[in-house]
Amino acid sequence: MSLIRLEGVSKIYRVGDQEIRALDSVDLRIEEGEFVSIIGPSGSGKSTLMHLLGCLDAPTSGRMEICGNDLSKASQNLLASVRNREIGFVFQAFNLLPKLDVVHNVELPLVYSGLRAPERRARAEKAARDVGLGDRLANRPVQLSGGQCQRVAIARALVNNPRIVFADEPTGNLDSATGEMILRMFEELNVGGRTIVLVTHDPGIAAVSRRVIEIRDGKIRREYAP
Amino acid sequence: MNLLVALQIGLHEIGAHKFRSFLSMLGIVLGVSSLISTLALTAGIERGTRAFMQQVGGLEYVSVVGKEISNAKFEFWNLSPGRTLRDAAAIRASAPFVSHVSPELAFGAAISSPGHSDRKQVRGVFPDHFVVARHEMKVGRFLTGLDVERGLHSAVIGDDILAALWPGSKAGEVVGRQFRINDRPFEVVGVLPKYEREEDRRRREAGKVSPNSRQSRRWDAFRGKNESVLIPFSTMFYEFKAGAFPLDSMESARLDSLTLRVADLDKFRPTLDQIRGALDITHRGVDDFDLETREEWFDRMESSIRATKLSGGLIATISLVVGGIGIMNIMLASISERVREIGIRLAVGAKGRDIFVQIIVESVTIAFIGGLLGVLAAIGLIAILKSLAPTENVPVMTLGGIVFSVGFAIIAGFLSGIYPALRASRLNPISALRYE
Repeated sequence: MSLIRLEGVSKIYRVGDQEIRALDSVDLRIEEGEFVSIIGPSGSGKSTLMHLLGCLDAPTSGRMEICGNDLSKASQNLLASVRNREIGFVFQAFNLLPKLDVVHNVELPLVYSGLRAPERRARAEKAARDVGLGDRLANRPVQLSGGQCQRVAIARALVNNPRIVFADEPTGNLDSATGEMILRMFEELNVGGRTIVLVTHDPGIAAVSRRVIEIRDGKIRREYAP
Repeated sequence: MNLLVALQIGLHEIGAHKFRSFLSMLGIVLGVSSLISTLALTAGIERGTRAFMQQVGGLEYVSVVGKEISNAKFEFWNLSPGRTLRDAAAIRASAPFVSHVSPELAFGAAISSPGHSDRKQVRGVFPDHFVVARHEMKVGRFLTGLDVERGLHSAVIGDDILAALWPGSKAGEVVGRQFRINDRPFEVVGVLPKYEREEDRRRREAGKVSPNSRQSRRWDAFRGKNESVLIPFSTMFYEFKAGAFPLDSMESARLDSLTLRVADLDKFRPTLDQIRGALDITHRGVDDFDLETREEWFDRMESSIRATKLSGGLIATISLVVGGIGIMNIMLASISERVREIGIRLAVGAKGRDIFVQIIVESVTIAFIGGLLGVLAAIGLIAILKSLAPTENVPVMTLGGIVFSVGFAIIAGFLSGIYPALRASRLNPISALRYE
């Protein structure tokens, strides 16, 4: 069974009395263990697709199944719990909480899955060590470099042991060497069996994955293996 | 997410914006402190009033007073003997709901001890007077049945009389001493304690004000009791009254006062009926008496206490509501500042409910801390009130008042958190994440 299955999924936004068809009956399957890139220029609908796949939003029409959950007409609460259990996010802007130190940032998803504090802390510390931040546990994001911040974000994405990790332009705010290193981490994760979905506008970055899906005007224009 | 985590986040948030949090608490602090102070002030007034009610005999105290005869029965005026000892006997015999009856004779007389003299009201009473007038003994004993039966020259005196007859003497020293009432010798058998308000007692014990400097100028509810000169009823009649009305016997002498005590307040009405029934017979149907009760008077006092409580409480409540609005304002500002944070929390799996709980907990925590500060402020405020304007009744801070006020603050915090919390919990994760 596919990890992600989209059948005729559309997403329509209404702005005033104008309809904007951000996604137009998209069919897509992603299997467990794949490393997929979604590329396309801005306005192509790739962000919308990522929001749907990442359970941040529900489709207007069509059928969407993620990790065995039918999310075609899902409530916000169901989306939230799928996000919490099955999905990790890595954003371009890191999206860390500036007031919290590394451990507390990393343990954030665990807070909402109802774990007790000692276990949360243990798992957060382990996740932070796994990305090489064992000596930075008590630092705040402002005290870290961009690459370190993105590693905190990756630790946070992994702490709940999700099946899919989404990365939205994860190297966009980093210099090329650091970006290279972060991409390397995703590759390693994928080798470890994790499903990775990378969203980018840069075909060069998409080349690290093994399947590229190109989106334009809300439709999948082509798929290829780099 | 459990409440503990929400509380941690909330405290963290409050700690991160100390000044802002303090400003938002300020309304609650003022509201709670004024509510507690108001409650304490009215509780003080209430306690003072109740103590006063007790001292004047309580609700159980009923007085039989003279009244003008109605026109219909005016012709029969001379059928009635007026208030006499027979009335007292009739009430004792046929009004079982009455526990004590105190008939009195009174007249103004010169009282003197070697070197001092004064004119005071002297009263001839029965032992029941002790209960009806709510006396206590400081030293010695009250008048007994034997004093009355034998017409002994015993006297019980109040604290002010003690001071007038033997200035500087202690109550214990004067029992057994002689003094004169209109030149007839009497022996002090007992001294009554000094009756005074709580506040006066405290002030006297602290030695702040000399006991008589202010009181003498002010109307004092207990003055009558402190100026008591009590002698046996029979002694009063034979020594001072019989000569004036040679035709009267002790039984038929007109009383100056007839008061009594109702045994059970639950049977107040039936008791009054019993008394009326008994007196109708002794007065031969002439309506020259009336029963005076404290009900109306006490009701008036109670309703003025209630009115004070209500108006004070209302003002304090308004300031608490204002405080709640302050919290709401700050919470709204705080969430619009934290849209991105909320977006991140939503993205990692927080449900709308979790965000709602977090904002509510934060707002309640602010209100609760504000409430606690308000309690401290109230303690200070009451101390200042006490020293600036010493009232007749000391403010009493009750645990109930504190719990009520802080509870009220918490409710205000909860209610004012609802709207910001709803707004925060309905944020769309995608637009919240994009928010700059």
